[in-house]
Amino acid sequence: MKVKRWWLVPASLVALAAAVAALVGASTGGASSGKVSGSIEVWVDAVRLPVAKLYAKTHPNVKVKIVTYDGDGNGATTMQTKIQLWNRTGKGWPDVVFTEQANDPVWMGQPPFDFAMNLKGVFPASLLTGWPAPSLAQCTVNGRLVCLQDNLAQEVLYVNKKLMAQFGYQVPTTWQQWAALGTKVAKEHPGYIIGTVGDSYGHWLYLWPDQCPISQVVAPKTVRINSANAHCTRMASLLDPLIANKSVSTVTIFSPDFAKTYGGDDDKVLLMPGPTWYAKDIFGGTLKIPAGQMTAAMPLRWNNEPPVTGQVGGGPWVVSKHTKSVAAAIDFVKFATTSLAVKSKPGALSPGYPSYGPAATVWLKNLNKDPYFAAPPGAAMKAAAGLVWKGWSMVTYPDQPIWSNSVVTQLIAGKSLSSLLPALGKGLSNNAKAAGYRVVNK
Amino acid sequence: MGVRLLGLGARMAILLVFAIFFVAPILWLVLAPTKSDHALVTSSPFSFGSFHNVGLAWRHLDAYSDHLYRRWIANTLVYSLSATAITLAISIPAGYGLALGKFPGRKLILSLTLVVMIMPAASLVLPIFLELNALHLIGSVFSVILPFSFFPFGVYLAYIYYATSIPPELLDAARVDGCGEWLTFRRVALPLAKPVVALVFFFSFVSNWNNFFLPYVVLADSNQYPITVGLSNLLASTPSFNPAVGGGGQTTNIFKPELALATLVAVIPVAIVFLFSQRALVRGTLGGSVKQ
Amino acid sequence: MEATRTRGLRVPRGAPFVLPYLPFLIVFGIAPTIYALDLAFTNAGGGWVGFHNFVRAYDDFRFVPAFKHILIYTIVWLGALMVFVVGLALLLHGRATRVSATYRFLFYIPGALAGAAAVVIWLFMLDPTVSPGSFLLRHVLGASIFAQSIAPGNLPYIFAMIAFWTAAGGWIVVMYGALNTIPPDLEEAARIDGAGPFTIAFRLKLPLIRKWIAYMLILSFATGTQLFVEPEIVQHASFGLVPDTWSPNQLAYQQAFRYADFNVAAAIAVDLLLIGLLGAVLIVSRSGLFRAED
Repeated sequence: MKVKRWWLVPASLVALAAAVAALVGASTGGASSGKVSGSIEVWVDAVRLPVAKLYAKTHPNVKVKIVTYDGDGNGATTMQTKIQLWNRTGKGWPDVVFTEQANDPVWMGQPPFDFAMNLKGVFPASLLTGWPAPSLAQCTVNGRLVCLQDNLAQEVLYVNKKLMAQFGYQVPTTWQQWAALGTKVAKEHPGYIIGTVGDSYGHWLYLWPDQCPISQVVAPKTVRINSANAHCTRMASLLDPLIANKSVSTVTIFSPDFAKTYGGDDDKVLLMPGPTWYAKDIFGGTLKIPAGQMTAAMPLRWNNEPPVTGQVGGGPWVVSKHTKSVAAAIDFVKFATTSLAVKSKPGALSPGYPSYGPAATVWLKNLNKDPYFAAPPGAAMKAAAGLVWKGWSMVTYPDQPIWSNSVVTQLIAGKSLSSLLPALGKGLSNNAKAAGYRVVNK
Repeated sequence: MGVRLLGLGARMAILLVFAIFFVAPILWLVLAPTKSDHALVTSSPFSFGSFHNVGLAWRHLDAYSDHLYRRWIANTLVYSLSATAITLAISIPAGYGLALGKFPGRKLILSLTLVVMIMPAASLVLPIFLELNALHLIGSVFSVILPFSFFPFGVYLAYIYYATSIPPELLDAARVDGCGEWLTFRRVALPLAKPVVALVFFFSFVSNWNNFFLPYVVLADSNQYPITVGLSNLLASTPSFNPAVGGGGQTTNIFKPELALATLVAVIPVAIVFLFSQRALVRGTLGGSVKQ
Repeated sequence: MEATRTRGLRVPRGAPFVLPYLPFLIVFGIAPTIYALDLAFTNAGGGWVGFHNFVRAYDDFRFVPAFKHILIYTIVWLGALMVFVVGLALLLHGRATRVSATYRFLFYIPGALAGAAAVVIWLFMLDPTVSPGSFLLRHVLGASIFAQSIAPGNLPYIFAMIAFWTAAGGWIVVMYGALNTIPPDLEEAARIDGAGPFTIAFRLKLPLIRKWIAYMLILSFATGTQLFVEPEIVQHASFGLVPDTWSPNQLAYQQAFRYADFNVAAAIAVDLLLIGLLGAVLIVSRSGLFRAED
């Protein structure tokens, strides 16, 4: 299609906006409504819709058009389709996009899609320091900061304090203790569970914390996928007997089957490795587990190896490089990620652990006060934030579907996880190659 | 006599079994919005809940993104009716011309129509998108209405109908009486076409109503979506089917009853159209219009 | 036949009626098809690459599985249509009109549902915790949870069932309409001659609606091999248990819109087109669909 020299306009706008942004200042979550104006189009998923609406309401100087879409959830490719088509027509790009897929910015920030703006130098630098380094690293593609994470999704160990006390169990601190407990539970209290591998992100919950190298970018366009690595096989061997004795479920936490079997008033969830955003939403909302039972503990570690944990999502905000209202777009993202009007309380506006440090402090304080929990869960979450293993890289292809349809389907059919690791590795390799990566073992 | 009864019984049984297969899911759908999300899982599938729950479900559905659902229904009505009107205007005469005419290229156009029908939609949508873009139609409702109006299936239905049900003597009779081609069509062929007009109207309307792929690709703004794309958008917002990795989907209040209600309401216009087309669909005989 | 004389102009009979249809046929049918064909044989820069795209499509690790899936699906789908649609239409024809009309209405109702809507209903129907057919799910599919209902081996049958559920009613209406074009005196004559209902159905009515059956099979073969909506939506709702490249059309879509490789996508589309054409040619030649007389 014809190539117009449109980049001159936004380039000069960016320069201008950088100057403006520096002047507008680095106030923490302050309302800059009086100073910023413009017109922006924002694409959000249903969960971020209240945030977008709040911004529009409190910033009358900015004309905000809100479009809801599926958020690219569970490995969908909606944004790719749209951006491709907009690229072909040369117009139509929204100014700000939220996506649930943490790896979306990786392809958004590179050709051929080339959609994401480099936020370095545009987004107030003093605010950027509020993000944890791993989070910023995850949003950095080829040296450009192409996104900002909205919330952190580090994995912790959720504990049903009431049931654990009732059964006289100790909260495990290592995977080995956890597994031993599972064997005990299967004998003494069959039907109760200590985790599930059936989610579409099961590998993030169990393989990521054990440093299984199946998504490790080692050089540009080169990814290491080795599902036969000891780190992977030992975790699978740990899990297999637990899956077999049913103390670890193979059903996803979101299915009605799970809620019916393990949730409700006589819930059977003893322990559950899960991300910070499970908190009240999943246990209280989806599973309807009564108050006074759940809390969060430090994520499990492998024996006495240094502690690392996994991550489940943590969706990013992306600003389009084609935007004509840079100031307004940046202002919006600033509001959504740092403003206390949005981030102070766990709830509809901020269901997940804010990635912006100062906001997270407030959020945690309020989370700890919530009477739903049997004990304040905040400390474990905060500690876990820095423990996410850096060796799992974001790549341009989603790996959730591969886990789901090559592993989970077979786990449900009764196969062992160890026997499925080769299929997982092969599926990931195939997808990596189809996406243009070179696949290596080491 | 016994064999006859057996035959009759078997006939009834088969029809009944299929009727249950087709209808039971719909019955479930009609009853689903009357129950709460929890009740759907725990109580009997065909139990009636309460009208209160229906009202609740509707309120949640309507509140989704500022009455977006209503807009989707309105859009679909506009797209479907406009496109069907155009389809009828071009397809019925085309079927007539192809069936009862004789001109060079007749077979070619028939074959091309068939080939195009078989061409996978996924491959046609991108070139159509590029064409629409060149015509600066992207973003307007015509980017949907015009492609919808091209309904080769309708042309084929009209072609087969005219080829098999209208004896050429009928038209010759009119021509002998002095009618030109257009009058022949209007006075003889068109009135006799009521059944196929009903069929084409019906299939075109339903096809437009149910079309997913083209509007999905061509319409960027969710405010312009027809109900099909809207429903999949809604499905993507239902926490039990598409858990937002990041939590918090509970605030959108779209659960199973709302999804069921959304599906149900989307069906009503088509059901109405079917009811009205029923009369004409039953008829199909000529009834003594050829002079013996 | 001669062309008619309209005020001295010799206009080929029937041509003007086809004229308004032609721009649409060209703009939305022929031109895109040619462009798609062009894409299949060229590369991203527009240069001719022969069959290279087809080879690349075939080499994709999802290509063969997708075609295997669609083969089973199409066989089940066409079989169900052929047997049940024609069978049900015949069963309905000749009965008391009101009973017949009621059944036809009942059969048709699912057809009113948008593809997305039908799949949503079946997501519930396939979930043993919610479905009224949970007994059947447990004993026929061996499924006690949803994830088991959509086990990979069940998928072709499930998709065929959903497709049948939505499409059968419409085709029954068409077949019924077709049966109505048979002059009643023919049936009377046969009955007087002593023909039983089976004979009338299979030796009188069936051959007379040959064109319509052929039409149904051609279209259903093409739409069957091009299956997209059912697996796509079940994939959305299955937490990823069903891959997004289960059918060849889905693979083409992913190639086009995920990998931005319109050329390979077009190659897959041409593969599907050829398969559809082959089916159409076979069916047309065997049924005489294009003969204008008869």
